[in-house]
Amino acid sequence: MGFPRPILDPPGLPAPRSTRPTRTSCLSDFLPGVCSCAQSAVKPSGTLSPSNLDSMEIDGNGGGRRMSIYLKGRLVMRCVGGPTPETPSLVLILFCKERLDLTLRLCGAKDKEKTETKKRILHLKGDRKDFEFVKTSLAAEGFDVVYDINGREADEVKPILDALPKLEQFIYCSSAGVYLKSELLPHFETDAVDPKSRHKGKLETESSLDSRGVNWTSLRPVYIYGPLNYNPVEEWFFHRLKAGRPIPIPNSGIQITQLGHVKDLARAFVTVLGNPKASKQVYNISGSKYVTFDGLARACAKAAGFPEPEIVHYNPKEFDFGKKKAFPFRDQHFFASIEKAQRELGWTPEFGLVDGLADSYNLDFGRGTFRKAADFSTDDIILGKSFVLQT
Amino acid sequence: MAAASSSSYSVASSLSSLRFTSSRYLPSLTHYYLPSTPFPSLFSSPSPSRRSSYRPLTRRPTFSAKAASVDRKSVLIVNTNSGGHAVIGFYFAQQLLASGHDVTVLTVGDEGSDKMKKPPFTRFSELVSAGGKTLWGDPAKVAEIVSGVKFDVVFENNGKDLDTVKPVADWAKSSGVAQFLYISSAGIYKTSDEVPHVEGDLVKEDASHVGVEKYIAELSFSSFAIFRPQYMIGSGNNKDCEEWFFDRIVRDRPVPLPGSGMQLTNISHVRDLSSMLSLAVENSIAANGKIFNCVSDRAVTFNGLAKLCAKAADRELKLVHYDPKSVGVDARKAFPFRNMHFYAEPRAAKEVLGWTGTTNLPEDLKERFQEYVEIGRDKKDLKFDVDDKILESLKVEVTA
Repeated sequence: MGFPRPILDPPGLPAPRSTRPTRTSCLSDFLPGVCSCAQSAVKPSGTLSPSNLDSMEIDGNGGGRRMSIYLKGRLVMRCVGGPTPETPSLVLILFCKERLDLTLRLCGAKDKEKTETKKRILHLKGDRKDFEFVKTSLAAEGFDVVYDINGREADEVKPILDALPKLEQFIYCSSAGVYLKSELLPHFETDAVDPKSRHKGKLETESSLDSRGVNWTSLRPVYIYGPLNYNPVEEWFFHRLKAGRPIPIPNSGIQITQLGHVKDLARAFVTVLGNPKASKQVYNISGSKYVTFDGLARACAKAAGFPEPEIVHYNPKEFDFGKKKAFPFRDQHFFASIEKAQRELGWTPEFGLVDGLADSYNLDFGRGTFRKAADFSTDDIILGKSFVLQT
Repeated sequence: MAAASSSSYSVASSLSSLRFTSSRYLPSLTHYYLPSTPFPSLFSSPSPSRRSSYRPLTRRPTFSAKAASVDRKSVLIVNTNSGGHAVIGFYFAQQLLASGHDVTVLTVGDEGSDKMKKPPFTRFSELVSAGGKTLWGDPAKVAEIVSGVKFDVVFENNGKDLDTVKPVADWAKSSGVAQFLYISSAGIYKTSDEVPHVEGDLVKEDASHVGVEKYIAELSFSSFAIFRPQYMIGSGNNKDCEEWFFDRIVRDRPVPLPGSGMQLTNISHVRDLSSMLSLAVENSIAANGKIFNCVSDRAVTFNGLAKLCAKAADRELKLVHYDPKSVGVDARKAFPFRNMHFYAEPRAAKEVLGWTGTTNLPEDLKERFQEYVEIGRDKKDLKFDVDDKILESLKVEVTA
């Protein structure tokens, strides 16, 4: 996901922090599964202006516990901490402003809560590839903890680490895509990684964090799904189910994949915050069970209340789809064990596959919203051919 | 967060509510799990390391010698006289003996029967040398056979149905056996789109093992546990597993796999199953009322297993895939494993017993291949009728 062109806010007077509400209702009131860490006292400080426009969002609340979150545009973080009159808690919500509205609405937030929540988020607009800007902005705030949700290359973390020499923890969203493909599964954190993978930037980032002696934690999700997903994972199936179209699945359909609900992932991110056990550790974070491609099609149908879908198998080698992707998953077994996180962090996913997909459908895709419009051109190529593999 | 949570495993009166709930992960409860490196055995013969290049035919698997802190128990193993499970009783007996327990193995049938001419029975003298007792007979008459000996633990590794197991279970209960362990099967899990099979998942209610599991649960032993294994490899195995692949690979024959070959299965070294059972004996309170998938913690695809076998044999692999229906063969006769994903994970053992798996297929298959050659099986004249039928229908030439 690319960032919009950098639009730096004209330097101006920041809203004095003392005018910010000190007593706010927290999203923990209506978001389930709150992690109760990181309460902080508010101190007026900072020189950055809040913004109403999109791009990066950084929560710049003053105080002992300040977090900076680089936006990935799809990750919903739970509220951190509970409110008290003296110490309003931090709210960590990671997405572009319009999604903030949507998310708040999804959570049933009332208007007043929405406004107050939005006030507690400090927007920094800009391009994270502009390393000077990143370094200067962060150094000005002096954050204690950084969550890097969207970093892809090792050079992107350097300005952050340079800006924050006293950083207490750097929490990184890596990917299970770094594991070397294997016939022995599931992937465990100790498995060999593939230095040539598409996600090698994530690996290089992990190494660079380690070599700089930072207190880092890295989480490796598999496929993420859930309301507001910008990646057409479940959306791809829902489009076809809604259109009453058959679901074309490459080869045998018994390839096994794994989905993890974004809320469970968010809870994992909160769980590792300030957790000494998580220091310099990687954790696979995803759902508790895995599923075949065919099974996933059926699970999406079940979750959304559609009848069992017609599945058509095909040999992808017989087709030329140009640059288009005919299927959203890698054509191989791909799943990882989450037992390390369960055993060491006490975290466990709350969503099973069908109820997680139902959550995504009911709160988002089933309401007519989508990120990527339905495109059945590759389906038509497949279905148009006279010979397709039978199940 | 980190669990001070109360145990989510309550002993239930019926198996349907015996759920392994993974809602909270408990920290490891035991300090007794067996280390993966073998300690010197109690026997006088040297204990070879797992990585030695040459193994004598009569080498024994070695197990850690426990200190005297282990509570000495009297264990009866009721063992089947054939099939994939037979080897479990042998390994478990050896491990218990090495740990200082008293072990009696009651094998079904006659000592003189032809079935006793196959491993592991051919190695039962090793159990006797280690201080174990070996008996033969009809398990329904167990009371007479063991004539009044009091046992603390009974391990039922024989019956698949209630008719066979009931007499043993009833006798164990009435004679005051404290712990009853039963080998069931992971084959009873209901097939699902979601994998793996996890303890607590639905089972096929009409499967005969299910009736046995329920009956044992209702007998109210002080401690009981159910173990559901899949396929296993290891010296002394009674039923072919990896041999099926070696047979073809050493003869330069194609290896025919049904379907895509992407099907996942679980091939465990029997030492993993044995160590899980031992942990249950030593932690009878934690193990009580639990179901354990008795498998290693990695699954392998059919394609992957074929590749690993070829690598272990240091030979080229010729893989051929076929559709059993089109060819007109019964996949169950043509191939040694279920033609589907058959994949369970040992989550309960890890969480409840602190068990860790040591199966390392790439290494273990090398050892298996060495023994395969040592016993001369690579030179044996074998028939491949079903293979030939498959290859014929696919028009694949067999150049061997």
